[in-house]
Order: sequence, then C-alpha cells, then structure tokens
Amino acid sequence: MTRTARKVAHWATILAFVGPFLGFLLVFQYWPLVQMVNDSLYDFSLLNPARRTFVGIENYTWAFTDPDRIQAFQVTFGLAIGTICLILPVSFLLAVYLNGKLPARGIIRTIVFLPVITSAVVIATMWTFLLDANNGLLNSALTALGLPRGLFLTDKVQALPSVIMMTLWQQTGFATVLFLSGLQGIPQELEDAAHVDGATAWQRLRFITVPLLIRTTVFVVVIMTAFALQAFAPALIMTGGGPEGMTNFVAYDIYKLAFILEAPGLASAVSVIFTLIVLAISLLQMRLLRARWNY
Amino acid sequence: MRRILPVAALAGMLSLASHAEAQTATAQCPNGVTTLSLLKPLNNPVFPEQIAAYRALNPCVSIDVSEVPFGQLADKISVLAAAGTLPDILVYDGPNTQSYASAGILEPMERFFPPGLREDILPATLAEHSFEGRIYSPGLQQTTLALFYNADMLRAAGIAEPPRTLDQAWTWPQAMEAFARCQQGSGDNVTVWGLAPSRFGTGQPGFVYRDLLFLRTFGNPTAPQDSTAFRTFFGISPDGRTAQGWLNTPEAVQGATFFRDMFNTARITPRSGIPNAFQDGKACFTIDVSFLVAGLRTRDPGFAWGVTPLPHARTPIVHTGSLTLGVSARSRHVEEAARFVMAVSTGPIALQYARTSGTLPVLLSLYPQLPALGEYPLNIFAQALREWGHPRPPSSRFAQYDKIVSDALRDIAYGADPKTRLDAAVRSLALVLRR
Repeated sequence: MTRTARKVAHWATILAFVGPFLGFLLVFQYWPLVQMVNDSLYDFSLLNPARRTFVGIENYTWAFTDPDRIQAFQVTFGLAIGTICLILPVSFLLAVYLNGKLPARGIIRTIVFLPVITSAVVIATMWTFLLDANNGLLNSALTALGLPRGLFLTDKVQALPSVIMMTLWQQTGFATVLFLSGLQGIPQELEDAAHVDGATAWQRLRFITVPLLIRTTVFVVVIMTAFALQAFAPALIMTGGGPEGMTNFVAYDIYKLAFILEAPGLASAVSVIFTLIVLAISLLQMRLLRARWNY
Repeated sequence: MRRILPVAALAGMLSLASHAEAQTATAQCPNGVTTLSLLKPLNNPVFPEQIAAYRALNPCVSIDVSEVPFGQLADKISVLAAAGTLPDILVYDGPNTQSYASAGILEPMERFFPPGLREDILPATLAEHSFEGRIYSPGLQQTTLALFYNADMLRAAGIAEPPRTLDQAWTWPQAMEAFARCQQGSGDNVTVWGLAPSRFGTGQPGFVYRDLLFLRTFGNPTAPQDSTAFRTFFGISPDGRTAQGWLNTPEAVQGATFFRDMFNTARITPRSGIPNAFQDGKACFTIDVSFLVAGLRTRDPGFAWGVTPLPHARTPIVHTGSLTLGVSARSRHVEEAARFVMAVSTGPIALQYARTSGTLPVLLSLYPQLPALGEYPLNIFAQALREWGHPRPPSSRFAQYDKIVSDALRDIAYGADPKTRLDAAVRSLALVLRR
C-alpha cells in the first residue's frame, strides 16, 4: 500500500466514523442557525412564509429598543442570577453533607437528584398547584403557621422569586452531584496534611476544599446559567409570561413572537441576539472563574 | 446512473401508490374515491355522525380526520401552512378567518353558496367570516355568553330571582351587589365566591371572549363615530390597523378599572382558576356559554340553577364566534372540499347537528325548526346572539390582538394600573397590526 493510499484510507476511516454525526450536526444544528440569521432579515408570517419582505437590520433595531423585549432579557438574566446565587451555596453545602459517612446516603442522594430527571412540564404543573393563590398547598401551610398568604404567580413582585424557587428545587440535585464528584476528587493527603498542621475544619474548607473546587464551580455556574437561560416551561405552563412581563423569559418570548404573534423574523432576530449573549456570557464566566492552579 | 435508477424507480412506485389511493375505481365509484384531509380540534366538530351523514350521500368521498387539542389548533395551522402541508378542510376558530384569508390560505366560498344563503347567515357571523368583501366560511355553529346562577344560594342570600328577558337585564352594579351578597366568607377564607373564575383558555382571567366585554360595554355604538364612547365599543379601528384611541380610551380605562376592582377591591371573584367552581357549588354565579345548559341537564349538579342575560354597563354586548369550517386555498380538491363544508354547514346535516348538540345555529332559517331555542333558558342565548351579538374586534391580526389584549386584561385582574397596562398593550399592538 502506497503512502498516498494509506492517507486516503486513514481519512476515509475518519470520515466514516465522524461523517454521519457531522452530517446530523450540519443539518440539524448549523443549517438552522444559518436559516435563523437569514430569517432575521425578513418580515414574514408563518401562515405564508413565501410572502416575505427584506427589512435588513430593522428587526434587530426593534429588538434592542422595544421595552417588552428588553424586559424579557432582564427577567431572564434575573432568573439566571437568582438561581445561581442560591444554587451554589445550597448545592455545595448539600454535597459536603452527602460527602460524609452518613447512613442511607444513597437514598438521600436519590431523593436530592430525583427532580432533575423529572419532566420540566410535570414540575411546572406541580408547582402551579403548590403556588396557587387560592387553594395552593404552600398557602395552606402558611395559613396553618399563622403567616400571611402569598399571591405568588399572580403578583408582579412575587412571580419571579417563585419561579426561582422552583428552579432551585429542580436543579439543586444536579449541581449537588457535580460538587460531590468534585469533592471526591480532592486528594485526601491535602486534607490530612492540613489537619497535621493544625488547620480547623473551617480553615480546611476555606483554604483547601473551596479553592480546589473552582473547576467544578465554573462548570456548575456555566451549566446552571445555560439551564436558567433556556427557561420555557414555567412561562408557558405557569404564568403565560405575566404578570406584567415579569416571567416573560426570552425562550418563551421567542416562541410567542414566532407562533402566536406570527412574527418569525422578529423571533429570529431575538434568537440571534440571545445566542450571541449566551455565548459571550459563557466565555466570560469561563475566563473569570478559570482555575489558577492544578492538582 | 446504475445507482440512481433504483431510487427513481422506488420514488415512482411510491408516487403511483399514493396517487392510486385517491383514484382506485370501484363499482360504486367509477372515478375512484377522493380522500379529503380534515384538521379539527379534539372533542369538537366535525363529529363522526356528521361525516357519516355526508358519506351516506357521497360514498365516493372519504374524510381523513386529524385532531389536535383546541389550545394547539392555531399553532398547528401556522406550522402546517409554513410547511405547505395544510389539509383540504380546516375546522378553525371563526375570529381567525381574516388572518387566514389575508395570508391566502383560505378559499373564498361565496361561489358555492346557494341563492339566499348569504341573507340567512347571522350578521355577526357573516362579518366575522368576511375579509375584503369575500366570505370564507358559511359558519357551523354559534355560541355566546350569559350569567348562570345557583338559585338555591340566591334564595338563601335573599336575592330576588334574576331577570329572564334582555330588556330587564341587570347592570353590572346590580350584578356586583348580588355577587357580594351571595358570597360566603371573606378575605382569605372565602368558601363560596360571588362569581366563578373564568374557565376559558388557561383558566387565568383575561380571555378576550369573556373579559373584553367588561371594557366594550362601557362604549356606545350609537355615539358619534369620532367619540371615545363609539371607539371603546369596537376596540379596534374599522380597518383593523390600529388600537390606539380605540382600546385605551377613558371609557375603556373605566371598564378595566371596574374589571380590576372585581378581583382586588370587591374581591368577589378569585385570581386563579377553580375547575368546575359553579358546578361544585363553590360559586354563586358564572359567566358561561350555552353548552353549559346541556352539561347541567346531563349531569345534575344537585342544586336548582337558572340563567340571566349578561349584565352590562352602558351598552349590552356579547361576543360571537365559534368553530367553523374552511377550505384550504392550496387544496388539490377545492371543489370536493367545498361541497363537504357546505353540506355540513347547511341543510339537513346542520339541522340535525343543532338538534343534537344544543349549539346555536348560524342560519336564521333553522331557528323556527328548533323549538328549544325559543324556550328558557336557551332563548336568552339565542336572543342575545341576535340582538347583542358582535364579533370580537375583527382584524387580519386577530390572533395577535387576542394574545396581547388577553395578557393585558390578565395583568389588570392581577392589579396592574388599567391606563398604563392598556397603553402598553396598544404599543405592542401597534407593531403587529401595522405589519
């Protein structure tokens, strides 16, 4: 076999393995992205997509200036920030707790992880009942404790925090498992050495565990940001984007623009902007939170 | 070439097979059986009996039915239209006629109308199903709203029997007084609400079909055309291109304030849905459609009930509009599909459907043949439909209007400032209505 024939065979083998997946990726991932960018430059309706008008960057100008769209971005980032600020400490502490030698540790881990594998639609429906202003379980509990009842999803101020709480409940298990695997990857020798040097439990946590978990933390932050930015089911099932746009998350807003308001060009423009923002945030997070040491 | 041939042969065979499905000749149908595809919402017309009745007279046509939940119907039609795969016949929500007609997906139907049919259709239905002078559907059924009440609870609360005729209908302040007197419990401990929450849409308040009436009733269609009272009644400009100065008038704000106070000040109705609140005895009154009459007769709720015309402020008004049938302009069988639509919407099949379903027909000539519609309580719906009925604000962007205004009304029910929220809705509408 000549050198050229070997090279061809080598590349043919690579293509045979990678080709089908590359094809799927191109057809189902990158081609729709190109189509989305193209659609964002037109004004048309789904009912008759052939009847379209080229509008250039008009859809983008509108997306950047329309108060409803700006609010959609604000509440989506509010959800992401709120979720991450709560999920990091909660899941970290849970992981530390579960990392200890507990009886029935497996069962507790399963319980913590269970919401992660439950359908988002089921969770949203369940929390709608829990948070119902009239007959919700949460209000019944508050009444039983002698506390004032909440309006939750029907109140402009309480709606977003309610969704953040639901997301926290839903995603904590996943973040906990990630932190747990990070904790179990820390060499025991470092802990032992610190112990010999007289470090207290708090000092060991602060100066050994937390710094060495930075890679896991970056991963958790990036993943949780991505999950929060994709929030769709809570708006569709629980609130319809209200009250007063306070849960009109961008993913739902895009769906609403495309399929209900029959403005897929505008929806595409918002999608392009959102994709770029999410990409920028992920890159920034990875840069700011990158590990400065290794072990 | 050798590789292309089998593929081409397979494609050819598949094409022939699909063609043959529609064209297979039988002794009864020498030209073959034509299959018409039909999309309809689940548990809604067209029902198998209607199709069977048509097929009994037209054995050479078969109907291939696809169903989706009502809430997904409009989305499904949009997606099918975008993909170019619309069925031959669409069962759709009547107020969307103008949207579909302006997008060119519906076939105009007047050429299939027999003489006199146009005059026989309820005026509100005719207006709803027309666009730029063309009629896109004869209409299948109508329904409208009235106020149902729990007679036992009213008696216990010392409230006199509500009126049974349109000319004596309650005003909203009178109705509010009755709601408040009948309600049991207060604050966070209400056991029986004065007025049941909406059961339309998602169960949240704001559904245009029901709740926009609270604004429109503060308008006046007989006022000068440039007055805010006139504009409030219609809620959108005649060309359907703007809501500025039509939806956010002082009268509309007054209506929206009244609507908001029901939830927040008077607190006679809850903010979130309670399934079957009226039937389960958790509410004294409910605003509902004529179908509920049949429902209450079929499943006895265990209390005496009655119906009174929908209360009003300045002008009595009820919304019209229901499911209807249309033919896809892109169908390969327009003639056959149109014949099916006409047969189901008119004549003996329509009469039989009205008799068995308890819906209100759109053809005036059918009313004398349906004695139940002249008797209490259905006569209230039938009269209201004829005398107070108006379509929801017609526009070729109705679906968008419906969503934006529903969201605004929901927020107002949740306590938003009526003027600010209506202005915001008008601003959102400006974008979609002008496109």
